[in-house]
Amino acid sequence: MSLQSSNEGPFSTRNIVLAGVLLAVALVLSLTGLGYFPVPNVAQQATIMHVPAIVGAVLGGPVVGLIVNLVFSFDSYTRFVGGFQWPNAIAPILTLFVSRLAIGVVAWLVYRALKGLNEIVALASAGAAGALANTAFVLGFAISFGVLPVEVIPVVLPQVAFEAILGAVVTVAVVAAYKRLAVGRGGSSV
Amino acid sequence: MTAMDFELSRNITVGQYIPTGSWVHRLDPRIKLIVFIGLFAALSLVFTAVPTGLALALIFAIAIAGRIPAGYVLSGLKPALPVLVLLVILQILFRGQSTPGTVVYFQWWIVNINDVALMAIAVGTARIVAFIFLTSLLTMVMTTTELTHAIESVFGPLQRVGVPVRELALTATIALRFVPTLAEELERVMKAQASRLGEIGLRSDWRPDRAARTRLPLIVPLFLTALRRGEDLVLAMEARGYVGGARRNRYVQYHAGPRDWLVLVVGLAFCAALLFVPWPTVPALWAQWVAP
Repeated sequence: MSLQSSNEGPFSTRNIVLAGVLLAVALVLSLTGLGYFPVPNVAQQATIMHVPAIVGAVLGGPVVGLIVNLVFSFDSYTRFVGGFQWPNAIAPILTLFVSRLAIGVVAWLVYRALKGLNEIVALASAGAAGALANTAFVLGFAISFGVLPVEVIPVVLPQVAFEAILGAVVTVAVVAAYKRLAVGRGGSSV
Repeated sequence: MTAMDFELSRNITVGQYIPTGSWVHRLDPRIKLIVFIGLFAALSLVFTAVPTGLALALIFAIAIAGRIPAGYVLSGLKPALPVLVLLVILQILFRGQSTPGTVVYFQWWIVNINDVALMAIAVGTARIVAFIFLTSLLTMVMTTTELTHAIESVFGPLQRVGVPVRELALTATIALRFVPTLAEELERVMKAQASRLGEIGLRSDWRPDRAARTRLPLIVPLFLTALRRGEDLVLAMEARGYVGGARRNRYVQYHAGPRDWLVLVVGLAFCAALLFVPWPTVPALWAQWVAP
């Protein structure tokens, strides 16, 4: 059974609860440090903090994804605002806060476009696209504000690939298990 | 893996209410929320040492006035320690190398300890500590129900322009109520996996692939537990006739007294001062007071 509700729309009972529990997951990932993976480069940490928003967008639509991402936006702002030199007060807000809000919307668009083709492919693509959107928007703003040089792109590419793969794996694992989708062979071979 | 690594819920202070009955607890929740929002905004927009230090001092003062045990407040910092260590290392490695006119105290290979790096470390650490304390303090001095009512009241006017304030307040309440529950569930999964000799990954590992392999067996069950508990909550809410977006009133009504208004005025004046007063820099203060 999935979260069923008699009322519909972006703020149905189902979506309110979905956003609430995924916000809680994002908070726990942030507070325990499970959502961040230390990497020895200028980006400081790889992350899967975008995954709750992607799962929220896939299960509840772009509004749920947007709400859930507020935790990641706020969390990344508090963690990284002190680590870089900003040209003005608006630059860190746009780079670390606003740019993250696009993750859920991009993931939802990709999932909706590919859902008819194959559900698992759509989930994996949504997970990877959400992670790529996160990096693209953050790096784009950071480079345009002169906080990071363009030369940083090849340095963070391995991390981008890691985040995209991890985003795809976790999204498929969570949503497929939740919706009882068949992934791979299934069952025991013995 | 030590026994301490399992104690997640003890170190997660967000979402925990500490009923000490202090005057901070008895303040009108709407006033507390407005002052907290003001402090958040001020902390987000100041980047220099003096106002950041003053904001941190005010947050400590609120904790003392609220009779929150110091050890409990500080335990909320434990999960953030790896981030703080990383901040220090990266500032020493990357900050100051390209900045002309810095006073270098120590230099070896790519390690460069200078005044700009040390100031950035101090301000960055103070900001992270202040944000963590402030987030925890919000729920330590207000029950989630009070917080919901406060959000509904403070942001209520936005409903006229179509913002679903009540639904967003309920979402925030559900999130805060679920944090301790999910932390306990996570502890249970960790213990279950450790008892089966599974490698569990809350340690910092500089190889992300290795960290991912040890963390995924915790992360996926965490999501599924949350979603399954959510199913039960939807059923319970609908069984009680809850409909998202429906008009409703409430039993609890708040009335701000003179003390509440005084706290509001002083709190907002402090936030405005953090933002708009031309605070001196630490070197200027040092030159004026310590080494004249």
